[in-house]
Amino acid sequence: MPERVVTIVPEDGLHARPASKFVEAANGFDSEIQVGHVDGESVNAASMLAVTGLGAASGDEVRLSAEGEDAEAALDELERILTTPEDEL
Amino acid sequence: MLEDDIDRLLPLAHISLSEPPATKAAAIEFLLDLIADNGRVTDREAALESLREREKEATTGVGMGIGIPHAKTSAVEEPSVAFARSSEGIDFDAMDDKPARLLFMILVPAEGGEEHLQILSALSRALMHEDVRETLLEAEDAETVQETVREAVN
Repeated sequence: MPERVVTIVPEDGLHARPASKFVEAANGFDSEIQVGHVDGESVNAASMLAVTGLGAASGDEVRLSAEGEDAEAALDELERILTTPEDEL
Repeated sequence: MLEDDIDRLLPLAHISLSEPPATKAAAIEFLLDLIADNGRVTDREAALESLREREKEATTGVGMGIGIPHAKTSAVEEPSVAFARSSEGIDFDAMDDKPARLLFMILVPAEGGEEHLQILSALSRALMHEDVRETLLEAEDAETVQETVREAVN
């Protein structure tokens, strides 16, 4: 299953607008996408409640994994969101 | 860490089992007033403005029937959480289109650092459990709500 580790760039972490963009994007792919801290449990990336529950801060490393036809495209887009400063998103 | 602070964060005075107003904007004011009526808000308008700004950036309707409006604001001096619930559900612009029935508000001081994110994520994790949501929806008194939150953030 394709996966990658990404360091979160937005200043407030995976929260507010970046989180909203992230979950929206995850919902836009057919693949099943999971996200979690590298040393923790992974959750459904398409659930705002679950993603909010991660409490992922700026500088934290998270692992993204995706299963499905569009897995690589999904990981590319989610990585882009996690590595773009909030004011450029 | 959080479970020891529940009495301070979410005192019984911040828990309402009365029906809140049916719109998101009015429900946010309802929650704010629970905290303000307990004497914890030095500037109601400033707190409301911070909450509205946050909603403008992205909704705090996190889906699964839950809304968690929150803000950092200089209008409070200590971290405060309030609870209300809606029998019909309130349109909170959630991505899953589910109306919010369980409402939590989090206000933390402007200099609170990442404290509000810690409270927000602990609360979100707790609310992922269906039994926690059910207990909160069915609780008949404020004490049950407070105990449920205390145990669930453990």
